[in-house]
Amino acid sequence: MKNSLDYYFKDVGRRKLLTRAEEVSLSKRIEKGDLLARQHMIESNLRLAISIAKKYYKSGCSMEDLIQESNIGLMKAVEKFDWRRGFKFSTYASWWIRQSVSRYVSTHRNTIKVPAHASSLAYKIKNLMEEYESEFNQSPTMTEITEILGVTENMVKASLDSMKFRHLVSFDSTLGNDEGGRQILETIPDVNSVTPDKILDQKRVSDIISASLSKLTKREEQVMRLRFGLSDIEDSRELMLDEEKFNEIKDKKGEV
Amino acid sequence: MAMPKGHKSRHGYATVSSLDGGLGYREIAETMTEKGDKMNHSTARNVFLSSMRKVARDACEMMGVDPTEANLKRVSSDPRFQSGVIDILKESHV
Repeated sequence: MKNSLDYYFKDVGRRKLLTRAEEVSLSKRIEKGDLLARQHMIESNLRLAISIAKKYYKSGCSMEDLIQESNIGLMKAVEKFDWRRGFKFSTYASWWIRQSVSRYVSTHRNTIKVPAHASSLAYKIKNLMEEYESEFNQSPTMTEITEILGVTENMVKASLDSMKFRHLVSFDSTLGNDEGGRQILETIPDVNSVTPDKILDQKRVSDIISASLSKLTKREEQVMRLRFGLSDIEDSRELMLDEEKFNEIKDKKGEV
Repeated sequence: MAMPKGHKSRHGYATVSSLDGGLGYREIAETMTEKGDKMNHSTARNVFLSSMRKVARDACEMMGVDPTEANLKRVSSDPRFQSGVIDILKESHV
């Protein structure tokens, strides 16, 4: 079954692209407040909005959201387009669409929302640091960054911190793109848990050693208990495994 | 001539100070003598080590380790092994 996006793409694909003359004519009508002309202009350029939105798909945002933001940018471009300048509408609109989508991506791609100005400053700082390092072969100091960019030290620190949020992954998110796939949380081993086979092994080792201890002479056991600081050496002997139990464990060991 | 370097244990050494209430060989010898089993500190040490080797022999067999004298000595003097034996002795004592 096709999803809603496929229908949308099919629907948008049916619309005819505008000629230069049609663009100018529609723009003139839009200026006069013709809402139908505005709608026609937007609908005729939805393909452009989709093609730009697709370029941001790898950012991790959903395609529906990207197309929606792209369309918002397109609407803004329709409102602000000035046909007198002589450019094609697509040339002008693509900037508005790109700005709208990239802003959406920068604020929504992470679990923690980072303001657009902080992302923008972080981007500038990153570029500055790269340029500085390539020119002077060392990283710029905080004072140099603040002087060059004309911002406060706190703003630089906050922006650099915001960069750390870029690669956050939710434990509840699924692996790959499968809806019913395993969650990341399920794949992290619990280092503190003891596996059943380990418990069984420990039990077996414990039984074997207990049986061995039962073979010690009274004298040996007393010395051992004194050495290990275990009291009540007189009655401890009774609590240890008897010979019969030891042989039973030995037999079991032979079966494995 | 340089003195022999001696043996360096990979997992540390089992010492009396690391055991809560554990006795040294001289103290063990005194306690045992008081109880009527006359022995000196060397005997106490020999008895202790021989009993540890007995326990280690069965453990080695179970784990598929060849119970040679060298292996028995290594296992029986390993503090991790001794700590395991202490745990089992404690459990059996409860």
